[in-house]
Amino acid sequence: MIKKNDLGRRRSFFLFSYKWRMVMPLLILMFVILAYPLAYSLWISFKNFSIVNPNQDHFVFLDQYKKIFVDSLYWTVFRNTIIFVIVAVSFELFFGMLIALSLKRQIRMTDVTRSIILAPMFITPIAVGLMFKFLLSQQLGFIPALLQSLGISINFFGTHTALITLAFIDVWQWTPFMVLMLLAGLESLPEEPFEAAYVDGASKWKTFWNITLPLMQPIIIVAVLIRALDGLKVFEYVYAITRGGPGNATETLQYHIYKLGFGYYRLSEASAVAWTVVIIIMIVIIAMLRGQMKGEKAR
Amino acid sequence: MIKKLFYFVLMLVLLAGCSTAKTQGTDGKVVLKLLMEQVPDSDIVKKMTKDFNKENPNIKIDIEMLSYDQIRDKLVSSFLAPKSSYDIIVVDNPWMYDFASAGYLEPLDKRIKNAKNYDFEDFSAPLRKIATVKGKVYGIPFYNYATGVIYRKDEFEQNNIAVPKTLDELQAAAKKLTKDNHYGIASQPQKGYKILEEWSNWLFAAGGEIQDNQGNIKLDSPEAREALSKYIETYKSSAPPNSSNWAFDEAMRSVSSGQSAMTLNYNWMLPTLNNKTGPAGDLAGKFDLAEVPGGKAALGAWYWSIPAKTTHKDEVWKFINWITSSKQEVNRVILGGAPVRNSAMDNPKVWEKGYGESYYKTLKNILEDAEPLAEGPNAEETIQVIGTELNAAVNGQKSVDQAIKDAAAKAKETLKK
Repeated sequence: MIKKNDLGRRRSFFLFSYKWRMVMPLLILMFVILAYPLAYSLWISFKNFSIVNPNQDHFVFLDQYKKIFVDSLYWTVFRNTIIFVIVAVSFELFFGMLIALSLKRQIRMTDVTRSIILAPMFITPIAVGLMFKFLLSQQLGFIPALLQSLGISINFFGTHTALITLAFIDVWQWTPFMVLMLLAGLESLPEEPFEAAYVDGASKWKTFWNITLPLMQPIIIVAVLIRALDGLKVFEYVYAITRGGPGNATETLQYHIYKLGFGYYRLSEASAVAWTVVIIIMIVIIAMLRGQMKGEKAR
Repeated sequence: MIKKLFYFVLMLVLLAGCSTAKTQGTDGKVVLKLLMEQVPDSDIVKKMTKDFNKENPNIKIDIEMLSYDQIRDKLVSSFLAPKSSYDIIVVDNPWMYDFASAGYLEPLDKRIKNAKNYDFEDFSAPLRKIATVKGKVYGIPFYNYATGVIYRKDEFEQNNIAVPKTLDELQAAAKKLTKDNHYGIASQPQKGYKILEEWSNWLFAAGGEIQDNQGNIKLDSPEAREALSKYIETYKSSAPPNSSNWAFDEAMRSVSSGQSAMTLNYNWMLPTLNNKTGPAGDLAGKFDLAEVPGGKAALGAWYWSIPAKTTHKDEVWKFINWITSSKQEVNRVILGGAPVRNSAMDNPKVWEKGYGESYYKTLKNILEDAEPLAEGPNAEETIQVIGTELNAAVNGQKSVDQAIKDAAAKAKETLKK
């Protein structure tokens, strides 16, 4: 006898239960756009495939990875990316906290100021890159011209300054994100500890340091994590402004991968570098989440 | 259910129909998809396709123009697809060897031989050499971007400076023309392609070379060190300040605004600079072109090629044959295209309607003795790694000696990859 379900259709026809059928479109989509490319890039990272040598397509196992780890350029690029992330995220956190604290005290017109402050976030990073390329241009730029009238001449894209300049472009664009996250956190904090501190006569600095910061810790961790991961994949500013120069001073991991894959056509090597980034990102996420969970348990 | 299945299949068929309908138009016309870089020379070709259609009403040319980086990405992904998304492509000289030896391009020897009244030998010799990979021709020259010295005639005359014939003269001229906020030379030391393109002229003038005739890297030489030291010296003394990431656009702006008196740059910049309605404004007409010191110039060129996977090879060749014919070359050059055929550069009609006799004669001399930046496998990467080291030296990250040593070592490594 053929069993029929509620809808009166033959069950055997569908193979899967109702709930699986409902998520099936999403699963297929995820597989096609996420799992398959990921697995494929892992697969070719163990080969020596290059677009300009279609005949050379052998399985070399870990050779690509070994090559990467002895390549001094890889470590330069790695260091650049880490410096970029640390500089950008710490300034974003600092300015973000400052702005969030002052916005919290604002009473009138909050919606207007907030929407203005959030504006940079809604510009595509490549446009921000081009914008700053021209703003900081020695020939056409407003900022060097302004500094020149004050008698200051800075080479924004010199050996020691270029990476920091890029990090500050990131700060300009993404501090609003920090503000958004931190402000939401600040507004959800309970009132009582602050009232108690006020009654006890604690100074503002002490209140901030001993009450606000510890209470905000989970939110800060999440915000920093999101920004740090975003920072690790910086590409647009480098592509639009410096192309990794001067020398290799601003070449970041993502730009390096792009250069290997689409510049030099070595897809296997590019995939291998990309997978080292994936692994680093996973380690960072796991470490931070574990730290957060431990912190929660201790409380 | 069967009904649903039927509709689904019908939809798939329609979708498939959409994708094939593109190349064979409904009116029986063959549509050729042409991928080009967004540059003035491509606009000229676009104008000329109207004339092509008068003679060949059955072929429709559909031109897509993209920026330099984009077209290479598109080309590479199109090569890997089972069917080429483009029928006619343009190939930059550093890609020629890699694309041809990977089998992505159609050899053209037979078609060139069988074409009527088609004088292939008329193309400037160094240009033909780049298109020939392992004895076969894979591209027809489209336009050149060989380097020359573009300088301000009036300033040179006022200061009693002759056109520099050696590196020392070039250095002295640049220094003499630098005063206050005015600079002798607009350098282009941007990392990668740009700096190597400019500096290789200095290298050739100093008697050095990047590769020998067999393609071996010969960069680690005293000549290269001399050329780089002099280049950096001049950059520091006679180029606008903080210009270590400058490329073509910045140098062009610097010269056209009167900030700098000369630049080692693409020869076709001259007509643009001397154009009364162009970027130079009142300075138009005051610029002139000369051969680079030493006479041997860095050569760049674009080529017409047929992707091996396209299905309309005969029609594509018809177009390439037409646009590169001696007759159309004259029209193209008169419209402002950068010439590749000697006959066009010798043609009095071109002199008269184009930019004057002296420009085309100088250009012909430049092209006669010009060499591409890198040849053979991984040319693109070779250029990038050398250009990165040179840029590091200009920025003081490395000494001249170290930079040349590293550049040579990395270039050798790249050749082997």
